[in-house]
Amino acid sequence: MSTTTTLRPAAGEAEQPPTADPTATPPRPRRRPQRSAYLFLLPWILGAVLLTIGPMVTSLYLSFTDYDLFSSPSWVGFDNYQRLFTEDPRFWASVRVTLTYVLVSVPLQLAIALGVALLLNRPRRGIGFYRSALYAPSLLGASISLALAWKALFSTGGTVPNLLASIGLDTGGWTDDPDLAIYAVVALTLWQFGAPMVIFLAGLKQIPRDLYEAAALDGAGKVRQFFSVTLPMLTPVLLFNLVLGIIHAFQSFTGPYVISNGRGGPGDSTLVYTLYLYQRGFTDFRMGTASAMAWLLLLAIAVVTALLFATSRRWVFYAGEEN
Amino acid sequence: MSNTRRVRFGRVAAAAVALMSVAGTMAACGSDSSSADGVTTIRFAWWGNDDRAAATEKAVELFEAANPDIKVETEFGDYGSYVQKLTTQVAAQAAPDVIQLDRPTFGEYAQRNVLVNLDDYVDDGTLDLSMIPDELLAGEQYEGVQYALPAGQTTQMMVYDVKAFEKIGVDPSQGWTWSEFTDAMQQLADSTGTAGFTDIGWAIDWFDTWLHQRGKSVYTPEGALGFETADLAEFWTWTNQMREDGLATPAEMTTQQDGSTTNSGLIADASSIEENYDSNLTGYVGATTEKLAAAPLPTDTPGADTSGMAALPPVYYGVPRSSQNAEAAVKLLDFLMNDPEAGAALGASRGIPPNTDIRADVCDAADEVSKMVCTYEDSVADQVGDSSTWGWPTGSSSVKADFQQIYDTVIFGQATPEAAAEQLVSNANDAIGG
Repeated sequence: MSTTTTLRPAAGEAEQPPTADPTATPPRPRRRPQRSAYLFLLPWILGAVLLTIGPMVTSLYLSFTDYDLFSSPSWVGFDNYQRLFTEDPRFWASVRVTLTYVLVSVPLQLAIALGVALLLNRPRRGIGFYRSALYAPSLLGASISLALAWKALFSTGGTVPNLLASIGLDTGGWTDDPDLAIYAVVALTLWQFGAPMVIFLAGLKQIPRDLYEAAALDGAGKVRQFFSVTLPMLTPVLLFNLVLGIIHAFQSFTGPYVISNGRGGPGDSTLVYTLYLYQRGFTDFRMGTASAMAWLLLLAIAVVTALLFATSRRWVFYAGEEN
Repeated sequence: MSNTRRVRFGRVAAAAVALMSVAGTMAACGSDSSSADGVTTIRFAWWGNDDRAAATEKAVELFEAANPDIKVETEFGDYGSYVQKLTTQVAAQAAPDVIQLDRPTFGEYAQRNVLVNLDDYVDDGTLDLSMIPDELLAGEQYEGVQYALPAGQTTQMMVYDVKAFEKIGVDPSQGWTWSEFTDAMQQLADSTGTAGFTDIGWAIDWFDTWLHQRGKSVYTPEGALGFETADLAEFWTWTNQMREDGLATPAEMTTQQDGSTTNSGLIADASSIEENYDSNLTGYVGATTEKLAAAPLPTDTPGADTSGMAALPPVYYGVPRSSQNAEAAVKLLDFLMNDPEAGAALGASRGIPPNTDIRADVCDAADEVSKMVCTYEDSVADQVGDSSTWGWPTGSSSVKADFQQIYDTVIFGQATPEAAAEQLVSNANDAIGG
């Protein structure tokens, strides 16, 4: 990530953030591609075709069929989509739960990640240890055992409700209360702020020190410096983290699945979109409906991402353009 | 032109060679059904805890010793991942040769013609079912054909905390009526300060027992719904009232119920009695230091067909049609059903043994806890109906999940019992209709 100072100005609009850019392509060689190159690429190509592109095309086809895994699919046109939109209250329940989850967890997670990154940006003894320790929860990622521990912490008689009760806040078990269950899931996400934190940290290191010196000379305090220097200089990284965070949050599955025993309960309060998709596919054997849901999700994420990039012209500041 | 074609052909050839080598590797990984030395290998898959695994492995070893020409590879996991894997394998025609099923998966597979007709093997003498009671075999038939075998026998029970019941001077072990039950629940609530019983409204299984006491059932033998919206509304109104009166567990506890002892309201001391299958009794006893016992369901209509209790297989064994070694698979089933040593090894790991001879032996030799199950089964033997009216059709696993999720909306005050019942019936008709 430290190499990004030499980043070429992107062609046309600078659509990619200046850090952690895995898609940056080197200039393509003009020579004819060698056969051996393809042979080396073969494992990847096979994987992509057989495990990604093939299943994707199949699922697009299946989304227009009635398919129960046992008998062959039969073409039903747009029936699956139409029924989801007009006849399925649980579909809309899952959309509501997912939007709530995305709107609450993503901003909070980014705020925490940025806050911790600011703390870890200062030189002090043992900084490497603190960075690793705070990143560690993210390495555990979407593990089952972690979600199980979370369930134990937040269920009736668990540590968190007991602690809250001891300070006079009797919330009851979060995972057993339809109003609170989703926040147990949100809390699980918030704890895993490591990935955006590291990216923020890299972004903070990129900000030239002379900007702060100039700001200090002009009499700006720490707070003013944050809002007038740090935050604007960080907006490309913020955009990057926001897009990744939202895509990730839309697809959240393991936490709600484990915390609710795969049910999405109590009372559908943790029925996130992917969990309902899974239930339709593997409990109800409605693979057609499940495929349709998967494509709707892809479409929704594409639209949200496109909107973010469209608005980014207004609020993302690229220092490279000014220089 | 010809040059490019040659290049393309070269690439295609390279890709084909690579594909073939990959395919070859995959084929080598798959289990060969019969190798050169005349040994047939079959796969046997089940779900369950470590006890069941140890007992099953032992029985399988006995089978291999008695049939040196058959080798059995076993696969097991927890229920959720097992069903998921099996579903995919069945769809791909690659299921193991002997599979363990439960009521919804059995209904699903029998109706979808996934399973081998076992009557053929009874006719040719490979399979002997003469020692298995008819009322137990009835539940594994679909349209008169035996598609699976009972791995054991279980019956509904009320498992209760003996001390709590002694305190209020009630002994339900010899049977009781619903008004005696309600009175006892009130006394328990007064004496313990917690709910008397774990709310039974969450499980379609317990609704089925309630319906059977009224001469109905959740599903008809043809696979349609066997009850009206009004029946379910009445059931949920009653359970909901019990909860509001403090006699049944609160919503936060009820929503956690899944039939396992881990999440049981009784084990969590949130109640003093709950409904379950007696195959779980050993699990209950192992999960608490309190003294527990089993009682029959309360009923105002005693009798084999109206008590709400039946001889049910806790799990089933079936052989998929896709099996290349159905004959060897059926041999294994026959061994598990009828061999005394295998029966002794299996013990009561899947309910009490289905074979009545072996059942007597196993019960005689059983430890104290397993004996509780035998004693209970003996005490309710004349109250236990046949399993044919308890079958679950295609789509029933989805209805079961839906039932609990919709009852949640009742106990958390988001829907009235009537509205919830209407929703369930409409969803269920959709799910089992196709």
